Order: sequence, then structure tokens, then C-alpha cells
Amino acid sequence: MAEHEQHDADEHHGSTGLYLAVFFALCGLTTLSFLTYFDFWRSHVPTEVSRVFMMAVSCTKAMLVIMFFMHLKWEANWKWVLTVPASFMSALLIFTLVPDVGLRMRHASYDRMKYAAEVPATVDHQEEKHPAGKHEQPAAVRPAA
Amino acid sequence: MTDDHHGRAPKFDYQPALPIPNGKAFMWLFLSTEIMFFAGLIGTYIVLRFGALTWPSTHDVHLAEIWGAANTFVLICSSVTIVLALEAAKSGNASTAKGWMLLTLLLGCVFLGIKMYEYNAKFSHGVYPQHPHSQIYEKPDIYYAQAVRTRLTALKAGFENKTDRTEEDTARIGVVDDILRKVDVAEKTLRDNPDSPEGRILIFQLSDEIYPRASIHEHRASPAHAGGGRSQFKLVALEEGTAGGHLAGLNDQYSWLKLPIMIPGGNMWASTYFLLTGFHALHVVVGLIAFAILMTMTLDRHAAGVIENVGLYWHFVDLVWIFLFPLLYLF
Repeated sequence: MAEHEQHDADEHHGSTGLYLAVFFALCGLTTLSFLTYFDFWRSHVPTEVSRVFMMAVSCTKAMLVIMFFMHLKWEANWKWVLTVPASFMSALLIFTLVPDVGLRMRHASYDRMKYAAEVPATVDHQEEKHPAGKHEQPAAVRPAA
Repeated sequence: MTDDHHGRAPKFDYQPALPIPNGKAFMWLFLSTEIMFFAGLIGTYIVLRFGALTWPSTHDVHLAEIWGAANTFVLICSSVTIVLALEAAKSGNASTAKGWMLLTLLLGCVFLGIKMYEYNAKFSHGVYPQHPHSQIYEKPDIYYAQAVRTRLTALKAGFENKTDRTEEDTARIGVVDDILRKVDVAEKTLRDNPDSPEGRILIFQLSDEIYPRASIHEHRASPAHAGGGRSQFKLVALEEGTAGGHLAGLNDQYSWLKLPIMIPGGNMWASTYFLLTGFHALHVVVGLIAFAILMTMTLDRHAAGVIENVGLYWHFVDLVWIFLFPLLYLF
């Protein structure tokens, strides 16, 4: 296996046609992840699913770029020496952050929760009727007096 | 490693390094440190974001998905052009290689141009990563009301002390007085009855008039909302011809007001967004400098090694954006 690759190392391994095919694949994949932006997608696919989907698309795109544009597909085994430890260290870095920072907000104080709430439902509907929102004070929440 | 000696008597062939040119080996070594650098930044972003109690929606902070997608496209194109430049250089086609290289350089500039335009959309609305420029407050509380009052008082004093006061200034004082009255009511309600949510709701409404957030008004059709009607939400973008936006609030109607704005989670968003895209943009700038240097060289077979190394770097920059785009714009 290595023999063939080594002989080809200096040869012409990618063709313009192949690069263009990869380019169109990348464009197609970008369009795919951009689809998640539209209302139709958002109303039919749960957020978690589309997030996983977007990450899967991104990983596919990354693999295409790494394999074909960065020529790793045609490189000898040294590629593993550099990429695997780096990926391993990055994964470790992210996992070590989780307990410190990621779980920090698990137990929010009352003060934080108080302001984290979005606008109450009554205000919401009033605002929708008056998109300019400038002249009228929404009647529903005006102080009783 | 002993391929060249295949068939001959086996001879110990000492290979002192990786079977690739030193430049390429070091570029890959550098890239592997870069992987960790960006993994740290992106990982921190993910952890901070999903650990956060609230996070602004993209339109709350003038982030337009279409520009992110456009930039993705631009970077993908530039990745292809630099690969083609390398191929042309390998086959000894120096002028073609230079043409592709110039195209790559231009595409990189387009990327930065779009990025600057995007940054400007945020800066012009007071969305900065840091004080004193940042106008972002995270909670509709007494401190926010106080900041609004301070700004209004300063504006009013400015107009009143003018020696040549015009009709316009008088009208502006009227606007300022209107808002000040609302601040008064909100603060009084909160002071008289600190335990009731009424005062907070009033301050919330005030903040909503100043800077109506898309996430409040837009009602993005989520599965829960799927049955409901279309929203009344209209992007300021459509009126002004700029991308990204929100409902027109007081800050948009009176551009001189520049009142503090209330975006829950806005400060953390601004910090992560500007840090991630800023470091990425910095890498793009370095790439552009490399392209500019390559443009002064003859891009024939001898230059192929250099082009390959610069190309590897540029593909990595593309790679980072491939992950940044969905994470920042679509999540």
C-alpha cells in the first residue's frame, strides 16, 4: 500500500475534474445546512436534530477539504502522527471545559431566573398588534391605577 | 522508505525525518497546533453557549445568515482556486498559476469585506464586545433604567444648552421628555412595590420600545408554534436595505438617541462572536499577506512547494469557517 502511495507522492494525483466535483459537493452541503434557516425546516425538524445534522454536514465538508484539497488522501502514514494527537488533545480540551464552565449555570440563582424569563404572554400579544410599539402603552399590563 | 531499493540487496537506509519536505512537515506541525488553538476557542464557545441561561437569537444581534453563507461560499471558491494554482504551478504553467493566485487573493479580500460590513452592522447598533462602546445591558432592571435615564438627561442638557436651538432640537427635547416620563413611571412602580413583577415588566417594555428584539416579536415557527399564523415581524433590513435586523425601535426611529439596549446574554454573545470571528479574520489577513508575497514570485515548478504550504494554511482557514458558520449563524 505504502509503495504505491510513495511513488505517486510527487505525481499528479488530483485532477481539475475531481477538484470541481469536490467544490460542487461543498456548495451542495453548504446549501443543505443553510436549509435549516428557513421556517419550513424549523417548523418540521426539532432543533436538536438540525444541530446534529449541521454538525454532520460540517464534518463531511471538513473531511472533503482535508482529504482532497489538503491532499491527505494521498499522503503516507505520517499524516496520522500529526493529526491524531492534535485531534485527541482538542477533544480533551473541550471535555475538560464542560464541568467547569458548561455546568456552571445548572443551578441559577433566583435573581438570574427572575430576569431570564422572556416577556409575559399578555405583553406579547399586545406588542404584536402594534408592531411600531411606540405610541401605545400596552393596556393589558398598565398599572391598575 | 526502502522502496527505491526494491529488488536490490537490502541496505539499511536511514531516514532522518518525515518523508516530506521540511517546509511541509513544519506547516503540518504548525497546523496541528492551530487545530488545538481553534478547538479551544470553539469548544469554549459551545460550552459557554449551552451553559448560558439565555442566548440572543441571531436577529437580536444583527447577525444575518445569508452573509455567513455567502462568506462560506467565497472561502470554498478560494480553496478551489488555490488548489488550481498549485496544479498549474506543478505543470509549469506560471502565468496560469499567477492568475489563480490573484483570484484567491481577491476572494480573500471579498471575505474580509463582507466581514467588515457585518461588523459594522453590529457596531452601528451599539453591539460591541466591551465597554465603553458596548451599549448592551443584560437585564431589564434598575441599572438598565438608570443607564437610560443618564443618557436621556445628557441628551436633554445638550439640546437645552444650545445657543442656537432649532425647531428640530425642540422636537427632540419632546421625544426625550416622553421617554423620561416612561422611565419615571417604571422606576416609581419598582420602588413602590419592589416584590411585584410590575415594575420589571414596565422596564422590560421600555427596553422593548428602545430595541425590540426579534426573538420576542418574530415568533419563529417552532414545532410548538407550527399551528399559528404568520408573524407580523418585519425586518428593519427590508426598510433600510441592510441585511439583518429587527423591528424598528426608538433607537432606529431616532438615530441620535443611541440609548442603552437590553439583550439577555448579549455581552457573552458579543465576546464569543467577536473573539471567534476576529481570530479567524486575523488568520485570513495572514493568508492574504502570504498570497501577496507569492504574487511577487514566479509561480513555476520550483515554487510549487511554497504554494502547497500556503495552500495548506488557507484550507485550514476555510476549515475553521466551515465549523464557525453553522455554530455562530444557524445554531
